[in-house]
Amino acid sequence: MNPLRETGLRLRLAVGRVPPVDNPHDHPTALKDLQDSIYREKVLRARAMTPEERFNSGFEVTKDAFQRMLEGAMWQLNTEDVEAGWKEVGRRLDRLRKVHDAGRFADQLPH
Amino acid sequence: MTIEQLALKVVEACEAVGSDHMVTGAFAYNFYGIPRSTKDFDVVVDVKEKKMIGEIILQLDSDIEFGGQVQFDTLTWGRRHIGRARSGPSYQVELFELFDDPFVLSQFQRRKRLYSGQLQHEIWIPTAEDVVVQKIRWGRSKDLDDVRDVLAVQGPESLDMDYVTNWCATHGTTERLSAILESLPPL
Repeated sequence: MNPLRETGLRLRLAVGRVPPVDNPHDHPTALKDLQDSIYREKVLRARAMTPEERFNSGFEVTKDAFQRMLEGAMWQLNTEDVEAGWKEVGRRLDRLRKVHDAGRFADQLPH
Repeated sequence: MTIEQLALKVVEACEAVGSDHMVTGAFAYNFYGIPRSTKDFDVVVDVKEKKMIGEIILQLDSDIEFGGQVQFDTLTWGRRHIGRARSGPSYQVELFELFDDPFVLSQFQRRKRLYSGQLQHEIWIPTAEDVVVQKIRWGRSKDLDDVRDVLAVQGPESLDMDYVTNWCATHGTTERLSAILESLPPL
């Protein structure tokens, strides 16, 4: 088969559908379509939750994220000391705060 | 200490000193958007008397260490106090003092009461419109992502967009709002 025809058949451009390309970077809209498709799924999942479920879910995902931060820190420090792990997590969060707060918070009022 | 326990302690400390409060930041956003993790529990506190903030911090002292350093929001010059759990997970707390910025006061007056089954306690949170306006005003990339997500999940058609656009016009953030609305894919 002509390679171009084969590619055209594989693309199957349809509104709202991700073209079946091997690599989404190979087509001008495939990556955006894929991103939009993933985002749409996240939005629809959130919409299916009640407001209270969304609020409560924040606690669960936060606990999970902190646990992963702890495990990552302990692994990188090569330690089984949980306290040392949390101390390192705290240090990293301080660095993150400086990045997020850069230009937004000051230690003094302007004179 | 779990994050729920930390959150409850903060809310109860505010109540103990008679200070009205409103949960803000990511936990308020989670009520309206796509739930995500955060590193801190943020609360706006109405400290009717100056000593109240010190009293809240004292109430929390056994569990949460505040550094004593006050920081100022460079947009509005509101005051922020940062604390961290003394043991276990490095959860952080941010207490924002309520002050006389017109939008900040409006947002606080419009806050809604919510019973959290997770905390088994009532809390106060901002409206969806106020979350949108506040985060657009802050304008950091993650804040703008949160705005997009609130608008996507709630749908602009279900929000008071006149209220949102009016405040954005006041704050000079209309272009940010327009860009976010245009970026929403078909849902």
